[in-house]
Amino acid sequence: MWAWHGDSVKPLRKDFFSAWWRSFGVQGSWNYRTMIGGGMAFTMLPLLRRIHAGDPVRLSDAVARHQKAFNSHPYFAGMAAGALARAELEGADAASIDRFRTALRGPLGTVGDRLIWASWRPACLLAAIAAYGIGLDPLWSSLLFLITFNLGHIGVRIWAFRRGWRDGLGVGKSLHEAWLVRVPRLLAPVILLLLGLDTVLLGRRVLDVVNWDGFFGGLAAVAVFVALVAFRWPRRTGRIAAALVVSIPLAWLGLALLNG
Amino acid sequence: MPLAEIPLHTTNWIVLVVLGGLLALDAVSWPQVMVSRPLISGTIGGWLLGDASAGFLVGALLELMSLRHPPFGAARYPDTGPAGLVAGAAYAAAGTASLGSLVAAMLAGWGIGWIGAVSVQLRRRGNERLFAAEQEMAARPELLERRHRLAIRLDALRGALLTAGFVLPAVLAAVWSVDLPAAATGTALGAAMLVTALAAAAGAGGRTSSSGLRGWPLLVAGAAVGALIVGLAW
Repeated sequence: MWAWHGDSVKPLRKDFFSAWWRSFGVQGSWNYRTMIGGGMAFTMLPLLRRIHAGDPVRLSDAVARHQKAFNSHPYFAGMAAGALARAELEGADAASIDRFRTALRGPLGTVGDRLIWASWRPACLLAAIAAYGIGLDPLWSSLLFLITFNLGHIGVRIWAFRRGWRDGLGVGKSLHEAWLVRVPRLLAPVILLLLGLDTVLLGRRVLDVVNWDGFFGGLAAVAVFVALVAFRWPRRTGRIAAALVVSIPLAWLGLALLNG
Repeated sequence: MPLAEIPLHTTNWIVLVVLGGLLALDAVSWPQVMVSRPLISGTIGGWLLGDASAGFLVGALLELMSLRHPPFGAARYPDTGPAGLVAGAAYAAAGTASLGSLVAAMLAGWGIGWIGAVSVQLRRRGNERLFAAEQEMAARPELLERRHRLAIRLDALRGALLTAGFVLPAVLAAVWSVDLPAAATGTALGAAMLVTALAAAAGAGGRTSSSGLRGWPLLVAGAAVGALIVGLAW
């Protein structure tokens, strides 16, 4: 049931598509003061122009509201844009919209970061590397990643935008109850399995580069031990990993000096 | 390898620079379809210089190294688009499977990634100034649109400049490192160090996903399956 402000105009399908398409660039003007505030106003403008058609003062007020500091996961920014546009259409007062924006920042960032950056992306990447490790052509492995990842990516963007518009100010509850929130927990074991698998398969590929004739089993056992230590103390060992790579040429130089 | 044999010419240098801009853009500004991941950018770089497989290998190694640095909030993380592209191109340009050039390409990629991270921070500071006139932009929304689009274009320019500045030095470093190290002990030591670093990066990266400490048996199980595959296939 639609309930909108008397002077407001309901956006057209092309306005929704334009706003959704713009949400792909929501982080384009990311800065430390307003974060994606400018990007949110940019994303919502096709909807705001329609909703406040013929009233430049209300449009200006709305743009001023939505370019204020805001942050969320970029794939979920469309959910905020849809929900905020719906609130504008329904004539919600400025204070309610401000409170809603503030309340929405945390959940949209946390859910998105956990779902996309910490789960879906690594799972797709590691699956593509595993496919390469067991013999798939590198170009096909790359395509495998791009297709699987972006099926999820585009799906999330469409779902988030539609859900935001549908639920308006009630979108927080809707997000909390969505099945997507449970996906990271389901993917976590898969990611760990793939990490172990990829470490050994990629390690073997590296050794192939040097025609390694040493004892692979021994090196693999050391590698698994190191991976477990790193898993227990990730901060320190993450830096050690980079330091090891950087120090390889130094080790060679040391060996060369020792051998005269 | 004589300089004349290096497969980097003006044409593919220009293509690399343009792609560097587009891949840098993908990481944050637009459209975030993840062609900026080192796995993809490395493969593209390798493919452009004649060996997609070499590019994929460097990209996959950089990918595992980057798992520990997800782009949460305002965190600083390596700019993997230009980094992977240059690293993949550099290793492919070396033209032969060599640990020296693989390590040189990885180092170049890792270094460019972090230099890129600093340049992203500078750009974000620049965006603050670009978006300072809030009242003016609220009154004239088309100005906000123009500035947002300008910020996106500037990000592409940043990536292109980063690639332009580093692609030739990285390619030269990878080509000149083909014969490193001269001694077999050095090669074995370097390979063992690289595999160990890979394992450390993978272990640390595992904690970024939502698993707790109790997930460690899965890591071991995955490695066991990997060892089984290696045992059967090699």
